[in-house]
Amino acid sequence: MIYADKSAGIIVTGATGRQGAFHIALMNEYAKSIGGTGVVAGVTPGKGGQEIHGVPVYNSIRDAMADCDAGVSVIFVPASAAGDSIMESASAGLSLAVTITEHIPVHDTMKAIAYAKLHDCAVVGPNCPGLLSPGEIKLGIMPAHLFSRGNIGVISRSGTLTYEIVDELTKAGLGQSTVVGIGGDPVIGQTFSDVLRRFEEDGQTKAVVLIGEVGGALEEEGARSTDLPLAAYIAGISAPPEKRMGHAGAIIEGGEGDARSKIEQLRKM
Amino acid sequence: MKFLEHEAKSVFAEHGIPIPGGFLIRSADELSGYLEKLPPEFVLKAQVDVGGRGKAGGILITDRQNGVATARSLFGKTIKGVPVREILAEERLPIIHEYYASIAVDRSTKEALILFTEEGGVDIEKLARERPFAIRRASVPLLMTEIPPFMLRDLLRGAPNEAGRILQCLYTVFCRKDAILAEINPLVTTSSGIFAADAKLIVDDNALKRQGISQNRDLTERERAAERHGFSYVELDGNIGVIGNGAGLTMATLDLIDFFNGKAANFLDVGGGADQERVMHAVRLVAGVPSVRVIIVNLLGGITRCDEVARGIIDAKISQEVIVRLAGTNEEEGRCLLMEKGYRMLDSMEEAVRAAVEAVR
Repeated sequence: MIYADKSAGIIVTGATGRQGAFHIALMNEYAKSIGGTGVVAGVTPGKGGQEIHGVPVYNSIRDAMADCDAGVSVIFVPASAAGDSIMESASAGLSLAVTITEHIPVHDTMKAIAYAKLHDCAVVGPNCPGLLSPGEIKLGIMPAHLFSRGNIGVISRSGTLTYEIVDELTKAGLGQSTVVGIGGDPVIGQTFSDVLRRFEEDGQTKAVVLIGEVGGALEEEGARSTDLPLAAYIAGISAPPEKRMGHAGAIIEGGEGDARSKIEQLRKM
Repeated sequence: MKFLEHEAKSVFAEHGIPIPGGFLIRSADELSGYLEKLPPEFVLKAQVDVGGRGKAGGILITDRQNGVATARSLFGKTIKGVPVREILAEERLPIIHEYYASIAVDRSTKEALILFTEEGGVDIEKLARERPFAIRRASVPLLMTEIPPFMLRDLLRGAPNEAGRILQCLYTVFCRKDAILAEINPLVTTSSGIFAADAKLIVDDNALKRQGISQNRDLTERERAAERHGFSYVELDGNIGVIGNGAGLTMATLDLIDFFNGKAANFLDVGGGADQERVMHAVRLVAGVPSVRVIIVNLLGGITRCDEVARGIIDAKISQEVIVRLAGTNEEEGRCLLMEKGYRMLDSMEEAVRAAVEAVR
């Protein structure tokens, strides 16, 4: 287990939106099933005083923290306000902001991550399914029924492909310690290296599955940074250059980031 | 979205970066009106978004006498497959020295990466491979409103101070325009000053709306139609249509097709919450590509309702065969609906891809 355990109180921003409300229910269902704290507050500016699935909604994270004990946030607010929500989380003293929102302008992401760093707040995502430590905590939208508790860490730039692989792991009797969707954007908070560092300090994780894709060089950087046993899958071996393959970050640019060279480099390690 | 050279130059000029004098023309005849305002010798630059434009014949030097005829021949050309519709007629600069300057989003540092070299006018990627030490770098956190002076000193060394002012302007452009790349190659000095002889600007697709850009020109018509439905879509050149949910899973489907020696016609990620109508639109969109002979639908989701997906496929009423792999809620119901109508629904991604590749063989 890394980042947060079952005792962590969760704040959901964008709580009154369709996605936010739906996933408050699912996160709390999971927390209830394992005896975790779950979502203690929702935040939507201007909607304070409402309740979503029994969870009180506040106008700001500060307001919520005055009433509730929370350590982490999960962000569902629309793209144009998501950078702001990351900074609000950091400013309020939360240690982790899991950002589900897709299509955030990359400059907003860069500023929000730089600001969060000043406040020692780790950002997971944006454009990610969140993270799940089986038996401990679910932060985000991952389908919990596919997961089982164990010693394998999983780090992925993708959503559904992660579920596919977690499903296979579970069926093969290989439970997971924590599964982290780090996001499909070109600029993301926690990278493979950051998550691997956490796994190294985590007594539970014995080996890590790394799920990467075309674009950038974060997979190679991560693999180089760790001594943990790794297995990797890189999507996009058939992706043409200069085309964005669904994720804003999945693009082979200026001759960098193609799947074959990633696989070759990972094999050499 | 990529800006054309003349658009990027206008933006740069608005932010205080000197550019060569010139005019944009849409026909050869239009040039005759500008001949007196241009110097005796000038350059015609095709406004096409392709790399290696000069070598491909997209940049021609001409004079007042031959200008119109040269423009006419350039308008008749296609540069690396792109027809020439606009030409920038520009003064020819008497170059003393060429520099290179760019600012880009850096994934590793999550900051703005500034590159500067005194060996401008070259292919920067080639220079980075062959003489990396010739390129100076600085990394600026976007929380800063300008490049700190020490970084400018490190970048410039012996280069003229005016280049530092231009880097500062370029950083302002980068920030204000939500750029993922702002590049001047070459940045040239002449006896009368320093100029951006070429200009490149790429704006973040996620920021087009707040930049006042209503349509992403980099997309084809079908890609744009897909975007309106909220799909991520990329055209490829094979005959197997692909629909998946999630970029990674869809890419993995393409990779598996490739592995079994098939060729995918497209990449289509329907995104989250694939309901009946979205699936119908996706299937119709892919079926509308003339080269598509079979379609594979590969959807996996905790909350995707398989019966809805099945109805969407049936509603699309297309002529090509659809091979389906579905996992999620109401899987059995979806399977029954599809089997009733004679569709094939397979259990694993591998089986489904094999079946699709077999179908076009």
